[in-house]
Amino acid sequence: MVAPEERKDLHENLLLNRLFEEKVLEVYEDSGIPELPHLSLGQEAVGVGTVFALEEDDWLAPSLRTRAVTLMRLSLRDVVTGMFGTESGPTEGRTTQHHLGSSEANIMGTTGMIGSHLNVAAGAGLTAQQLGEDRVTAVFFGDGAATRGEFHTALNFAAVEDLPVIFVLENNQWIEETRALDVIAAEENISEMSGHNLPKEVIDGQDVDEVLNTVSEAAERARSGDGPTLIEAKTYRYRPHAEVIPERRDEDEIAEWKERDPVELHRDYLLDNAIVDEDWLESTRDSLMEDIEDAFEFAEEDSLPDEEAMYKVYKDTDVDMYGGVR
Amino acid sequence: MKRDERVFLYGEDVADYGGLYQVTEGLRDEIGEDRVFDTPLSETTLGGTAVGAALTGTRPVVEIMFGDFLSIIADHLINYAAKMHFNYSDDTSVPLVVRTTYGAGDQFGLHHSQDPISWFQNVPGLKMIAPSTPADYKGLLKSAVRDDDPVIFFENKQRYDLSGEVPDGDHTVPIGEADIKRSGKDMTIVAIGGMVDVALDAAESLANQGYDCEVIDPRTVMPLDKETIIESVKKTHALTVVHEAARFGGIGGEIASEVADEALFYLDAPVKRVGAPFTPVPFAENLEQMYLPGAQDVETAVIDALE
Ligand SMILES: Cc1ncc(C[n+]2csc(CCOP(=O)(O)OP(=O)(O)O)c2C)c(N)n1
Ligand SMILES: [Mg+2]
Repeated sequence: MVAPEERKDLHENLLLNRLFEEKVLEVYEDSGIPELPHLSLGQEAVGVGTVFALEEDDWLAPSLRTRAVTLMRLSLRDVVTGMFGTESGPTEGRTTQHHLGSSEANIMGTTGMIGSHLNVAAGAGLTAQQLGEDRVTAVFFGDGAATRGEFHTALNFAAVEDLPVIFVLENNQWIEETRALDVIAAEENISEMSGHNLPKEVIDGQDVDEVLNTVSEAAERARSGDGPTLIEAKTYRYRPHAEVIPERRDEDEIAEWKERDPVELHRDYLLDNAIVDEDWLESTRDSLMEDIEDAFEFAEEDSLPDEEAMYKVYKDTDVDMYGGVR
Repeated sequence: MKRDERVFLYGEDVADYGGLYQVTEGLRDEIGEDRVFDTPLSETTLGGTAVGAALTGTRPVVEIMFGDFLSIIADHLINYAAKMHFNYSDDTSVPLVVRTTYGAGDQFGLHHSQDPISWFQNVPGLKMIAPSTPADYKGLLKSAVRDDDPVIFFENKQRYDLSGEVPDGDHTVPIGEADIKRSGKDMTIVAIGGMVDVALDAAESLANQGYDCEVIDPRTVMPLDKETIIESVKKTHALTVVHEAARFGGIGGEIASEVADEALFYLDAPVKRVGAPFTPVPFAENLEQMYLPGAQDVETAVIDALE
C-alpha cells in the first residue's frame, strides 16, 4: 500500500518516465540520438511501480525497455549522456545506456542478448543468500524473453534454491514484429508456460498500485526466505519495437490500450482523492521538463570520448599486451 | 527453395515482417507459410531444431538476427552440427545454413556489432562464408543451401545497400574458391567479407601513390582457398590481411602462418595484419569509427610493409 504522502513522489516518477520518453522521441525524430530508442511509453507503471516498491540497495536488472530503472537510479545527465555516447556518460561512451551496469546504483549490467540476464539475476540472489544480505533482485523481461530456455532454467533454479528474486515479466503482447501468442503455446497468459513451483501473479500492468502492491508482497516473501515470485504484468507499448521499425499493429488495438493509460489513471486517482490539484501537476511537469531539457542540452554539448576510453577491457592488464591498441 | 522441397526457412521475424533487414521480404508469400515461418525469440530452439531437422532429411535455413547471438547456439554449432558426420556410422551429415548479420558501424553497441567469424575458425566441421558482392551473395547462398555440411553465412550489415550486377538464373559460386577482386604486383591484400570494399578503396588510393595491390577475397573463410593466396604472394612477395574482428587471434593470423609455412622465402616484406583493436566494439560515434578497420589503416599497413 502506498502511503498518501508517497503518492506525489510516485506520480513524479511516472511523469518523469513519460515526459522523458516523449522528449527522447521528439529529439530522435528531430535531430537523432545515437542510441536507437526502444521506448517504454505505455509501460511506465511496471518499471516505476516495481522500483518504487523496492529499497535502494535491492538489485535491479532491467530489460532493454525498462527505462524506469536508469531514470530512477541514475541522474538524468547520466542517462542522456549515456544515450549520446559522450565522454561524461556513465561508461564514457563505451556502451549504450540501456545495458549499462552500476554497482553504485545497484543496477546489474545486462547484455543485448534478450533474456540472458535471467539466470544472471538469479546469481545476484545467490549472493544475497550466501552473504546473508537482506537484498532482493528484480529482473525485468518481456514476453519474448520468456520463450528462451533461460526463463525456465532461471525460474526452476530460483524456486529450488528459494532465491530472493522477483521475476517481472512485462507482457506487452509483442515480440518485435511478432504477436506473442502466435509463437507461445499459451491461451492467454505467458506465465501459463511456467510449471515451476513458485507464486505466480498475473496483474494489470497499467495500474501502478497493483504493480506496487504485488511487488511489495513478493519482496516480503523474498526477504523472509520464501523465495522467488513470477509477476506477469499485462501492458502494452505505444510505439513500435524500436524507432526504425514501422508500426504495423492494428490501430484499434493501440487506441484501446491508450484508454487505460497508466500515467493518466494515477493522475485521476490523485485528483479524485484531492491528493494534488491541477496546479501541482503543472508545476511538477514544468520542473521535470526543466531537468530533462538541461540533461539534453548538457549531452548535446558534451564532447566525444578520447580513444583511451575504449580500452577498459581488463581490470589489471593492459590490452597492448595482446597487440590490442591500434 | 523452389528447386528443393526439403529446404525451409525460419527465424525471428523472418516471415510476416520479412526479417529485420528485410532480406526475406515476400518469401513467405512466394514459398508458402509451411516453409517460411516465424519463431519464438529462442536461438536455442533455432539452433537445436535446425540440427535435428538437418540430421533427419531436411535442409533448414535459419536466421540468427545478429551474429553476436551465435554465442547462444554455439553448443549446437560446435558440438552438434560440426561433429555429427564424424559421429555417425554412415554418411549422414548436417546440411543446415545459419544466415546471420555481423559488423559494426551502426552504433548498435557491444552486443549487436561484433564480427564472430574467429569464434568458429578453429572448429573442424563448420563451413563459413562471407560474401562481399551481390553476385557472390547469390551464388554462395545457393551453394550453401545445396552443401551437405553445416554452413554459417555471414552478411555484413553495412553492405546491405550495396548494388551490383547479379547473374540471372541458377548462378552458383563454388565454396572454397577465392576471387581476385583486383590484380596487382606489389602487395597481396587478403580481405574478408565487408573488408573487401575497404581493401579495394585502399588499393585505389595506394595505386595513386605507386603501389600496385592485388586484392583477394577468399569468399569462404572455411574452407580457405590457400592456393590462390600463396600463388599471389609468390608474385607480389608481400602480404597484408584485413578483417573486422580483433587483429589478435583472428583468421588473419592463420593466413599469415600458412603463407609463412609455404612461401616464406618469397616474402620481401613483413606480413601485416589489419583488424580491430583487442577491445569490445565501443558505442560512441568516434570510438566506433576508430575501432573499425578502415582504408586508411590498410594504406598505412601496406606502406609500412613496403617501405
Ligand atoms: C537473444 C536475442 N535474440 C533476439 C534479439 C533481437 N530482439 C531484440 S528485442 C526483441 C524482442 C523482445 O521482445 P520481448 O522480450 O517481448 O520484449 P519487448 O521488446 O516487447 O519489451 C528481439 C527479437 C536479441 N536482442 N537477443
Ligand atoms: Mg514483448
